[in-house]
Amino acid sequence: MLKKSPFRMLFNRAMNPMERLLTVVIIAYVAFVSIRNPLFFGPQALFDILSSGAGLMILALGVLIVLISGGIDVSFAAIAVVASYTAVLLARALETDSLLFILFVSIGLGAVLGSINAIIVHFYKLPTLIVTLATASVFHGIMAITLGMKTFTQTDVPESMITFGRWYVWSIEAEDGSRTSLSGYVVITGFVMLVTWFILYRTRMGRSVFAVGSSEEAAKRIGINIFGTRLFVYSYVGMLSGLMGVMYWSRLYYINPDILYGFVELSIIAAVVIGGAKLTGGEGTILGALLGLFVYQLFSNTLVYLGLSPAWSQLFFGSVLLTMLVIIYYRQRQANKKALVFSTM
Amino acid sequence: MATTSPLLVAKNLSISFGGVRALKGIDLEIQPGEIRCLAGENGSGKSTFVKIVSGVYQADGGDLIIGGNTAHHHNPIKASDAGIQVIFQDLSLFNHLSVGENIAINQLIHRGSWRISRNRIREIAEPQLAKVGVDLDLDAPVATLSMANKQLVAICRALAMDAQLLFMDEPTTALTSREVHRLLEIVQGLKEEGLSVVFISHKLDEIFSVADSITVFRDGDKVGDFNAEDLDEASLSKHMTGREVSYGRYHRVHEETAPILEVKNLTRTTNYTDLSFDVRPGDIVGFTGLLGAGRTELALSLFGLNKPDSGQIFVEGKEVTISAPWDAMTHGIALVPENRLEQGLFGDQSVAANISVAVPDLVSNSLGILRAASVQELSHQVVHDMGVNNKNTDVKISILSGGNQQKVVIGKWMLWNPRILVLDSPTVGIDIGSKAEIYDRIHTLASKGIGVIFISDEVGEIAANCNRVFVMHEGEVLREFREDDMKAKDFKATLAGLIANPDSVSVESGSAPAEKVGE
Repeated sequence: MLKKSPFRMLFNRAMNPMERLLTVVIIAYVAFVSIRNPLFFGPQALFDILSSGAGLMILALGVLIVLISGGIDVSFAAIAVVASYTAVLLARALETDSLLFILFVSIGLGAVLGSINAIIVHFYKLPTLIVTLATASVFHGIMAITLGMKTFTQTDVPESMITFGRWYVWSIEAEDGSRTSLSGYVVITGFVMLVTWFILYRTRMGRSVFAVGSSEEAAKRIGINIFGTRLFVYSYVGMLSGLMGVMYWSRLYYINPDILYGFVELSIIAAVVIGGAKLTGGEGTILGALLGLFVYQLFSNTLVYLGLSPAWSQLFFGSVLLTMLVIIYYRQRQANKKALVFSTM
Repeated sequence: MATTSPLLVAKNLSISFGGVRALKGIDLEIQPGEIRCLAGENGSGKSTFVKIVSGVYQADGGDLIIGGNTAHHHNPIKASDAGIQVIFQDLSLFNHLSVGENIAINQLIHRGSWRISRNRIREIAEPQLAKVGVDLDLDAPVATLSMANKQLVAICRALAMDAQLLFMDEPTTALTSREVHRLLEIVQGLKEEGLSVVFISHKLDEIFSVADSITVFRDGDKVGDFNAEDLDEASLSKHMTGREVSYGRYHRVHEETAPILEVKNLTRTTNYTDLSFDVRPGDIVGFTGLLGAGRTELALSLFGLNKPDSGQIFVEGKEVTISAPWDAMTHGIALVPENRLEQGLFGDQSVAANISVAVPDLVSNSLGILRAASVQELSHQVVHDMGVNNKNTDVKISILSGGNQQKVVIGKWMLWNPRILVLDSPTVGIDIGSKAEIYDRIHTLASKGIGVIFISDEVGEIAANCNRVFVMHEGEVLREFREDDMKAKDFKATLAGLIANPDSVSVESGSAPAEKVGE
């Protein structure tokens, strides 16, 4: 008999109800699809999900950290586009074809744009949703006016980015000669997850983020630097977005500043919320965000194995989100009722 | 004492908010190793004073001398470095962080490295818990703790910062009397270890049981410093309110004996068992006992928020089923809930909106469109009838003091003409002056023939307001005091003893004059 569950040994905590439910959903779905279509239960589907989800997971980590700090950010996709597009244009103007340069500029610009969010939110004491909704338009608008909205096809995308997009850590050759490959992005995402975990749980800054999200007033009273914490949170989100932008174009071999922004924000926030992060702040786990995003990716990528059109994925994901929220909050309400708590959440 | 220099000296400290002088030149000295109570009604400036000393507010004028050094540009970090710790009324804990992190957080934020080490948290937190003499799981999130344990975590956090001077702002508001007792013991223990504690309260019995000396605030001014033994409850109230306050004792004058509310064998598993009682017109029936005795649960059941498993409820002789607040209201039952701001009011709305929302039919026409004139008229009527101090009904209700908010809650219900009014701890966090006014209103309502159920754990309050009292413990009625029993000279002492130590009842029940109910 195991004294502790393997989960507890690894994470030093019990799985929270959202994580548990998500795990059940994933296992059930995978089992169901595998039975209907044995092709699904191979490396192809898994590699697809991981490779295309790696970039989104980086955005999800940003969303998670903002939610924990008690805010909500919808400008991350705009920042990803603006930062990486500017970086590419700059590299082309300077005629340097260096991935490091592009990453450096994109991540740096992301941090600057993120800190603009933090400054506005903090000094004007405005709701984060509205501020980031507005700054997203402003950032994207300034880019469109000053830099234009020109798209780049594969021949114009810097060579170093194409190579980056074709970086694979694992290739499997099938009998018919076709190859299935796992993108090297999973290494980057894994590393970013580790860094984010370390920051959140093992550094003073990370605990300040939880503290500010739990109660800003209390945090102020013990002298936590609220502005410093916010500045960190939003610039970290900006940096993650800048990184993700470069990863995104590199894998597409195509750059179009009109995609991404306006398309992925709410899905990613939903994926993080499904993973147990609360819009009220202070709560949320990296594992939850990962599982939430995995479910989202499952539905977006694998319905084809069931012979369904991608249009179904929205319906499936929405239904899972709703069902899980109903179950979780119903349980919470039952528990509250027992404890005679009548507040809404 | 003569040789030790004071820990804290405030000289002519003053502060204004938007032209209103909240503190008008306060002089105060705190010596090492003393327990000082700051007493005063709500709004008297106690909390403002604490916020200046702890660096949350900057004083407009005057000097603050901490440990012999004048404090310039005071802020929370400087205050905490100088050994001043404050436990605010809301505790300022982080619900999502663990017990250990909450205790150690100041150290981690201000003195630690950028990295967090679990061992370090343990090293900081464990000795503090030992000092206070409690054993809590360091990894448990604070959200899962009881109010009393949260209070202890807050104390441990202050101790972890090498507090020399600990301010506790209304620390007992949410505690049961047994927990209060334990907390006061802990405070005494801390004093013996050389800590100075400034205890802010407006509960007189606590003040007298713990304080060495008492400083009274009124309207932003200091009334004076007193030795605890030189004051008694009456003289202290007089200093606090500026007038003699005595609560008139309530006597029922109604002749009718037919009960308006009858409860028979009401049971809800884990809440209360086999409760039977009746309420006649003009009765103020007290329900008292420790938190968790089942009082609030009963109140919620009468209002349809906590459905009983078995038993019957009769209103004016007819059996009724109450499964939602709406049912309760149609039977003429009103509830003034325990938590005024969260359960009784819409804090961000105006006084007028709070009043009119309870009586939509009275303020709208047949299409459901509001008539602004009726809203104004009704809300003015309530504000005047209840004696709310701010007559402007367009202000947000959250800016009124607790006492005035409660008057609005009660007044709002009166528009419904209820026959039964259930008051759950109606004067929690309300100062003495407003309390007297609220009691007075309740007496008036009862004399008009309303049956009142009055839930409270303050003995003085129960004695002054009720003509019958039930003492509850763990969901059962321990004892009933009838009108005659309440005339006994030692009634208050008996009641207090019973509440504080309910298990003793089996020993003395043989000699008890009152019958036990429900058997």
